[in-house]
Amino acid sequence: MRDTVLLLAMNGLIWGLIIALIALGLSVIFGLLDIINIAHGDFFMVGTVLAWFSLSATGNFWIGFIVAPLIGFIIGAIIQRLVIQPIHGVAALSIVATFGLSLILQETVRITFGATPRRILAPIQGTVPLFGVEYEIYRLFAAAVSLAALAAFFLFLQHTKLGIWMRAVRHDRETAVAMGIPAQRVYVLTFGVGFALAAFGGAVAAPITTVDFRGGVDVLPFCFMAVIIGGLGNLPGTVAAAVLLAFLEGMIQSVADPTVARISSLVLMSAVLLLRPQGLFKGLAK
Amino acid sequence: MTRRSLEIGMAAGAAAFLIAVPWLIPALTDHFWVSVITEILIWSLFAASANLLFGYVGLLSFGQALYFGFGMYGVALGIDHFGLSFWPAFGLGITSAMAMALVSGVFAVRLSWHYFAIITVVFSLIFYFLAVSMKPLTGGDDGINFSLPPVFRMGRTVFSLTDPTFQYFFVLVVVSLCFFLMYRLINSPLGKGFLAIRDNDLRASLIGLNVYVLRLIAFVMAGFLAGVSGALFAFFGRYASASYMFYQVSGEAVVWTIVGGAGTMFGPLVGTTLFIVIREIVSSHWEHHSLIVGLLAILAVIFAPKGIVGLWNGWMIRLDERDAATSAPPRLTLQAKP
Repeated sequence: MRDTVLLLAMNGLIWGLIIALIALGLSVIFGLLDIINIAHGDFFMVGTVLAWFSLSATGNFWIGFIVAPLIGFIIGAIIQRLVIQPIHGVAALSIVATFGLSLILQETVRITFGATPRRILAPIQGTVPLFGVEYEIYRLFAAAVSLAALAAFFLFLQHTKLGIWMRAVRHDRETAVAMGIPAQRVYVLTFGVGFALAAFGGAVAAPITTVDFRGGVDVLPFCFMAVIIGGLGNLPGTVAAAVLLAFLEGMIQSVADPTVARISSLVLMSAVLLLRPQGLFKGLAK
Repeated sequence: MTRRSLEIGMAAGAAAFLIAVPWLIPALTDHFWVSVITEILIWSLFAASANLLFGYVGLLSFGQALYFGFGMYGVALGIDHFGLSFWPAFGLGITSAMAMALVSGVFAVRLSWHYFAIITVVFSLIFYFLAVSMKPLTGGDDGINFSLPPVFRMGRTVFSLTDPTFQYFFVLVVVSLCFFLMYRLINSPLGKGFLAIRDNDLRASLIGLNVYVLRLIAFVMAGFLAGVSGALFAFFGRYASASYMFYQVSGEAVVWTIVGGAGTMFGPLVGTTLFIVIREIVSSHWEHHSLIVGLLAILAVIFAPKGIVGLWNGWMIRLDERDAATSAPPRLTLQAKP
């Protein structure tokens, strides 16, 4: 009993770190472009599929870690230019446009990849004893990679020119444009970065979940929950909320079935929305 | 031709077509299309419920499938579980949808914009997962089937929805009645209050409108429309399933509304018709019809951000202006003087 609790809690924690990556992408797009991105779960799904394709093309799993975010970035930038820019940040229209995008991405994957879900064998096999349970090495590795990617993203946001531009445009678009920041280009790159984060999460998660053209449908509500509970625009909050939620769901799953776990996190989210709409961590962030 | 006579002509043509459908369609093509048109009518009512909230009150609900599902399960459980006859089951479906809308609306309408969209989808997800997990009662994703009770008897003749023509007219009458009610509502003082809130909720509250109560009323009324459409769909398919409560179903209503034209009476009908007709035509030839649906949704928001009906209204206004310019030049010169 103690073992299952521990195992599920660990699984939840690691899944939360991966979700944090994806939700961060959603949060960046949401915060900067004011786009409610219904297709974000599919960005993740595209990542898992890219990992599968690069594995079957080259026989090397690790190439997917580079290919997935790279292609994701390019597709994201193209999407922003072709689809998102013409609707001028009207949130209602963005829902329709990204709904259409979601259908197109899912259907394209169904045509090219097929409708049957597949599994990717973990590139690192074996288990290690951890707190008395045998734990899969790849999951630990995935957690480490996600943590590193999260850290890299925050460093990117704080210390690179593009990162500073992104924060500046978000903070005050008018002033940023007046200071000579090419806001239009920042939007394109931001959407690319958002897609890349989700696709990278997909590549990392591919050996843990299944590769399926409908794989994003379940991930999307979870990411929105993380973004809302963490507080709109509060990026560290998003990460914390993702980890907290997945951990809680893992814990509840050890005593009840996954649906009950999902329902309880949804109830938690309603409470947060109604009582603390600025997010659970408002005031804790600087 | 003036705008008004053109529009009256089109409305009359559409009404004549809808009445003639059970005879016209089998003569022209296949009987199958009668049931497609029945389905379009039902779903356009569902889209109208999203439109009432978004187009007239400015609240973007992403959870209308919840009330659709309650209407559906009210009917299915009423017949299958409690052994109700047709009308009580219909009533149960509608009232349970409205009750659910009231309960969730009390919380949801306190929020606005993004937060409102998200809390409505959260509520609908909670009940979707509940419905999936309560499999003995709801049948989960597989759903529950039931057999139709007769609608009413007249002497020895029994009217039942198993007759496709009667079913079509039943749906047509109910849907038209709901659209008429919505039309009356929008043009009532209450409806003007809705529009005031949509345009500026702060100003609306400053002129003495109770924004919270008005939003709640609109939310329950939208729940009513969604509940009626769900109940009709349960009768139409003779089953209810949790899969119709998923957020993607709510999303479709929003997409149909916005593509058709939010804030217009017939926008949802136009959008729903467009998407379902394309689905039916393309899906029989090509498996991947959602590719076209997705592309269409994107093209629609880029080239017709006010929807198809909005595009049409724009043309009509330009037509009016041209008429005014050609028929009444003296008035224009008069106005030009200070």
